[in-house]
Amino acid sequence: MVSELPLRSRWGAVCLSGVLLFSTPGLARGGDGSPEVPVDAPLQAHVGLSQQSLAQVPLERPDFKPLAVVVAVVPGLLFHGLGPLVAGDSHTAKRLFALEGAGLGLIALGGVPIALTGASRRTIAPLYAVTLAGFSVLGISALANLYAVTAPAFDAGVAPPLLPPLELEVGYQYVNDAAFDYRHFLTVGAQARFDSLRLLGAVRVDPSEGNTQVRLGGAWRLLGAPERALSGTDGSALDVEAFGQFHRYPTEGFALISGEVALRGRLAMSRFSPAMAGSFAEVSVGTSAEAYTYPGAVSDGNLHEQLLFTFGYGVWLGRGGPFRGEAMLYYDHRKDSFAGGIRSRGGGIVGAFGLKGRALLTDDWGVAAEVQGGGALVGRLSLIRALGGER
Amino acid sequence: MRVGVMAALVVAGCGMRPAENRAIADSKVGQAQQGGVTLSVADGLATVRALAPGTLVLWGNAPAFTARIDMGAQAPSDWLVTVRNAMPDAVLVAEEEGGAPLAQEALPQALPTVKVWRVALRAGTTARLSVAPPDSESREPFRFLALADVQEALPRVGDIYARMRRDDAARFILFAGDLTESGTRDELTEFQERLEAGSRIPLYATLGNHETFTRDAAEYHALVGRGSQSFVFKGVRFSVVDSSNGTLDPGVEEQLEGWLADSRDGTHVVAMHVPPQDPVGLRGGGFANRGEAAGLVGKMARAGVDLTLYGHIHSYYSFANAGIPAFISGGGGAIPETFDGVGRHYLSVDVSADNGLQQAALVRVD
Repeated sequence: MVSELPLRSRWGAVCLSGVLLFSTPGLARGGDGSPEVPVDAPLQAHVGLSQQSLAQVPLERPDFKPLAVVVAVVPGLLFHGLGPLVAGDSHTAKRLFALEGAGLGLIALGGVPIALTGASRRTIAPLYAVTLAGFSVLGISALANLYAVTAPAFDAGVAPPLLPPLELEVGYQYVNDAAFDYRHFLTVGAQARFDSLRLLGAVRVDPSEGNTQVRLGGAWRLLGAPERALSGTDGSALDVEAFGQFHRYPTEGFALISGEVALRGRLAMSRFSPAMAGSFAEVSVGTSAEAYTYPGAVSDGNLHEQLLFTFGYGVWLGRGGPFRGEAMLYYDHRKDSFAGGIRSRGGGIVGAFGLKGRALLTDDWGVAAEVQGGGALVGRLSLIRALGGER
Repeated sequence: MRVGVMAALVVAGCGMRPAENRAIADSKVGQAQQGGVTLSVADGLATVRALAPGTLVLWGNAPAFTARIDMGAQAPSDWLVTVRNAMPDAVLVAEEEGGAPLAQEALPQALPTVKVWRVALRAGTTARLSVAPPDSESREPFRFLALADVQEALPRVGDIYARMRRDDAARFILFAGDLTESGTRDELTEFQERLEAGSRIPLYATLGNHETFTRDAAEYHALVGRGSQSFVFKGVRFSVVDSSNGTLDPGVEEQLEGWLADSRDGTHVVAMHVPPQDPVGLRGGGFANRGEAAGLVGKMARAGVDLTLYGHIHSYYSFANAGIPAFISGGGGAIPETFDGVGRHYLSVDVSADNGLQQAALVRVD
């Protein structure tokens, strides 16, 4: 059944994400904070603003202080700026307190009306987006609070200066879901990078049970440097993504066909505070339309919608050498993935949490790994072959 | 404070099979042993509220059920058998294992859904007690009412029963979960007292996620019955399953497959609390895994289920899942969905063993 939500509300949800992502100006600024390497001409005006704000803050990372790490956990996970405050970084502390407050405010701004309206079909889309945005800001500030006090113990990573035009991968995926018989999957994937365009494809198949998922799509870089030319940038970017998916469930006797669009933004956290150098925050918001087909006499003419929302906090793994990569803790709100949502006492509202990493170990070879916990436990490990990746 | 407690409860109890313990608890409903007397209610269709020498009190969770009672050598012979939440015209058939009838006498009661019989049972024997209305085996069309999600509106639920009393044709209420706000013993007891005081027909239920907030629905199992069960009334099968975690436990799904197979060629109504699919997809108030949801509704469609009834969402929706007529009727009074123009409500459903779903009508209370 098609939702009765007005189109205007859906666009409102999408636009909100963009506002959040770009509340920090200077998206394509250089990784060292210098304004002389604008990668994207239309963003030069933002660079100037960024330079102005950075002039007011210390540019050196604070020293590592073990006590600050302890405080960042307890009670720092409740009061996100306490760890940096103990470390003597009052600038970062103030910003984290503000970020946490903004997150809580957004949760209240969206969550209270949801409760008062009984999650009304007329208003749920924008309110849900605001609430999830609040959780994303809150989650990012919590993790940033930990990163700010642990990062001084090691050299900050940097965004890879260059990524290869073509990556192929093959791997294994394990899924433990009490509701499904499938367990062991063979996975293959490919990623092609052009100037502003990336094309992605992935197939996951359980050879014994027959469950097969095929995802094809692409991402267009709206803001920020292309992945093949990140040198001199901090990796901040905004992409619009579109994917199509076919997922066959032979044991259960149906198939899912879906299409989705989303905006995905990544922000180098060094813009938030020098103490955050080497880390980034990522948020995406979008929607999908899904149809289920059943062989035989069963018919379902419904077109189901889904709110797509992810947020995460990641670190760059490389230090400017051939080793390039990233790792990210994230939340994914979607319910049509292998992980699905958490089966909680609130029903099926909450999505899945995960940790994923991807790294090129040499110019030609790399690995990717991911674990997810939702209604199911999912683990994935892949070998990557990079083509044309000479630096 | 209250929101924080609720959030903690919501997050708690997550796991690979969060409903597994409740599925196990289901199997113990209707079983009791005391003083050498062993009682077993077939398919757990009633819960044992009291078993003492000469006294048996059951809370019925189906229009018709049978119980087997093994009398110890020292058991008394004079018994008062009370069935609460019974059909108003229910009768008791008591017989020994070999088929010999046992003497019994119905005692008059003030409440229409409370039935009491004096029964002569013999020590050292096994007896079978059957409680059912006289027409439970016929195949004539009949009406039942569908309701869900009373929760914090429990003090006002009498309004709903008052509206229901205006319909003389309705035989029972099928309740799709969230009887109370937190599933405590006090709340459930109040729910049952208000039901007996206000309704002239019984209410047969499955649990909702709010019932799990207290000891994973242990009080519900003790006072109401199983979360997942199936019964047949006038040739129509009713199956209710525990979906309160946004999933079906594999054990419950296996039970459901059996009930689907048993009624493949007959009329079958399936009810659960959390709907597999929320018709407002962006809200996503259905199952935690959309693949599981699609598989479940497809399975029910292939088995010829005639009607699916849900709660959890506090409004009224009429839609179809995998082609099966589906209704969400969460109009028991819990925080209502605004801007829907519905308010408190229930469904009036006419079904027939031979012709399936005849009609499902929205009945507004306010």
